[in-house]
Amino acid sequence: MKLSRRTMLKAGAAAALAAAPSVPQAKAASNAKIMNAVMQGDLRSFDPIWTTANISAYYGAMVYDTLFSIDANFKPQPEMVGKWGLSEDKRTYTFELRDGLIWQDNMPVTAADCVASIRRWAVRNGGGQMMMEYAKDLSAKDDRIFVLALKEPFGLTIPVLAAVNTPDCFMMPKKVAETDPFQQITSHIGSGPFVFNEKETRPGSRYVFDKFTKYVPRVEAASGLAGGKIVKLDQVVWQNIADDETAIAALESGEIDFFELPPLDLLPQLAAHRAIKLRVLDRSGSIGMMRLNCLHPPFSNMLARQAMLYLINQGDILKATFGNPKYYNKIDSMFGYRTPMSNDANTAWFKAASDFAKAKQLFKESGYNGEKVIILQATDFDFMNNSAQLIAGWLKEIGVNAELAAMTWGEVVTRRASMAPDDKGGWDIFTTYGSSFGLGDLVSAVSLQANGKKGWFGWPKNAEYEGLRKKWAVVSTLAERQAIARQMQALAWNFVPMVLLGQWVSPAAMRSNVHGLIGMPDIIPFWNVYKS
Amino acid sequence: MAAYITRRLLSTIVVMLLVGVFVFMLLHIAPGDPAAIIAGDNATPAEIASIRQQLGLADPLSVQFVRWFWDLLHGNFGRSIFYETPVITLIGQRLPATLSLTALTIAFAVILAVASGVIAAWRAGGWLDGFLMGFAALGFSTPVFVVGYFLIYFFAIRLRWLPVQGYVPLSHGLWPWLSHLILPTVALGLAYVALIARITRASMLEVLAEDYIRTARAKGASTEAILFRHALKNAGVPIVTVIGIGVALLISGVVITETVFNIPGVGRLAVSAITNRDYPIIQGVMVIFSGAYVIINLLVDISYTLIDPRVRY
Repeated sequence: MKLSRRTMLKAGAAAALAAAPSVPQAKAASNAKIMNAVMQGDLRSFDPIWTTANISAYYGAMVYDTLFSIDANFKPQPEMVGKWGLSEDKRTYTFELRDGLIWQDNMPVTAADCVASIRRWAVRNGGGQMMMEYAKDLSAKDDRIFVLALKEPFGLTIPVLAAVNTPDCFMMPKKVAETDPFQQITSHIGSGPFVFNEKETRPGSRYVFDKFTKYVPRVEAASGLAGGKIVKLDQVVWQNIADDETAIAALESGEIDFFELPPLDLLPQLAAHRAIKLRVLDRSGSIGMMRLNCLHPPFSNMLARQAMLYLINQGDILKATFGNPKYYNKIDSMFGYRTPMSNDANTAWFKAASDFAKAKQLFKESGYNGEKVIILQATDFDFMNNSAQLIAGWLKEIGVNAELAAMTWGEVVTRRASMAPDDKGGWDIFTTYGSSFGLGDLVSAVSLQANGKKGWFGWPKNAEYEGLRKKWAVVSTLAERQAIARQMQALAWNFVPMVLLGQWVSPAAMRSNVHGLIGMPDIIPFWNVYKS
Repeated sequence: MAAYITRRLLSTIVVMLLVGVFVFMLLHIAPGDPAAIIAGDNATPAEIASIRQQLGLADPLSVQFVRWFWDLLHGNFGRSIFYETPVITLIGQRLPATLSLTALTIAFAVILAVASGVIAAWRAGGWLDGFLMGFAALGFSTPVFVVGYFLIYFFAIRLRWLPVQGYVPLSHGLWPWLSHLILPTVALGLAYVALIARITRASMLEVLAEDYIRTARAKGASTEAILFRHALKNAGVPIVTVIGIGVALLISGVVITETVFNIPGVGRLAVSAITNRDYPIIQGVMVIFSGAYVIINLLVDISYTLIDPRVRY
């Protein structure tokens, strides 16, 4: 055979024609009973008590159940508890578990399981720690009933048990719950609406949850995280797609059904797609904040911290990262955006900011003499990266010797733990963000602590504020708590434990045939969800 | 020959251990703390310190090193800090996807590139040569992720012929497996097609100018026989060398391709481990990659003896 150009072209064309019909149209993962979702990140730990990572709390809400849950109006409602009561002296809570509760290994849920679970959780949760300070005894009376006896009334008992503020109070079998709270559990047995499917799970890649067929939901309709958790899907698969573009392409092609946090700059592309809808599930959103190291100059001086209130322009920071004002707001209350505790006490700085002359004057009054201000800049998160750069620029503009230390977020979380001065590996400023809803819980939110070195990074200290925080937990009415929150904020914006950088929401994207998703802060519930 | 192979295999073990030690040192010098990452954003410094203690990361570096090296000598790669799973299990779960992708890529690249290189050399200076070498230059200069996104947009979203992402094991059927690998294979393979095609062309041009080729033509041998029986075999050594280098380079390409196409392979495992500072996984993957690298080089060396009988070890 003689090889010629014509022979080659003919052979190529024939091969192409032969191949074309044999390529069937790729089919989307359209099984109506299986939900493929891309969540906010990789599920790194299967112990929602051991870690405070949100994604582990999501996992917890799938596999485990809670004694109480918050409803759509953020009011605590019984979930695993059937009946409960409080003695007249407000010192003894009696809880009775409802019928039909069963662990996923077919053992019944007992009061002893719940007692052990509360004890483990209370070591790791700020609200739980405070509750246990007031506790005299926590014990099971029989298989269904357990009692919490208090030394003094603790008005937050039920809200704390129902709170969504990692770690959340998930119930586990007694044997599992007796694990050291600082040791990670390896069990996946819960009594929640989904069973973790270890066999089909590939850590780092996909996490599979099957419907727990023996789960008995409450009879009430689902409301927020409370009410009947009726599972309408056979399986939920969390796909860990690291690349946002790929996740969006997969959503467009129907290979996934839900994408929790699509990048904001690609929302117009998704909004234009006929088969995709956008929905803000957490209306309270996230709050950006700047932590100042209160242990070393210049921010060991209150006046330098006050200067930062006047320096920051939240609008610029929000615009730099989120672009569309539809998704962000400026904020002046340290207790979150439109939470029951949000207020406007002592927010004159907010109306004045940004005022560079005032900031410069306050720095001068603080005795600032040109020392270096190191700003940790997490370059792998847009918000942290942009905010750090803007803050550095503003500081330089008023004559502060600001220096950016560019690194990954993984390095920031290591370095921010250092209490050393700058020249020994310390820091002065880092920016981060957290749940806005979580800031409404003044006891559990670690960023609201002002207990010095025992507290969260930055280590602000104010005894009066901490006294009020304890008092807030004890009072029994919402009005009383709101009044204390006002006092706390009035104090806080004087000693400045942190600086706010704005609030934003991130819409989730989903296929238009996905229905029933319950919009709540900090948890994505997959019960009640179905595909048409 | 047997002694040579034995010596090389023994040196592989030494290389793997040295790489392991180097990676261990490098990781512990680099900033980052897995305890802080795993504890979550709301954890207090005391809680992070407690987790560090529990993970054994608070021990002196020398103690950690001895513990790790002793385990490595016993073939134990340790357990993932985050997933609480043996590293070897995690790598074992990810290996089929990576092997599938690399095997298909090598097959795709070698077949297409050698054919293109031979044809380009055969038609040197003509439009076909210009077209093939122009295409090779384009393939070589376009980053894998750009090719990947283009292929996804065109073939998965617009035409809907192939899936956007993911991996299906071969045990689920040939077409589901293949359909998930076609786009990543093309994206990853294009650069290697370009590289191998150019070397094949250059090597073939040199051989086609030899006297014995002229003699073969004068004897009336067919073009096919001249190209494939006489020329290609003699041009083989540099081609095999560059294929060997290409296969070794695939390791870095695999990491990007697996990320773009969401293939749960060893490359993605390594990337997420680096982000998380999951030391045992990073160390395990690097040791295995280094072993693979040395073995590929050994196979290339052995293949020389098959192509050129004059080569002896």
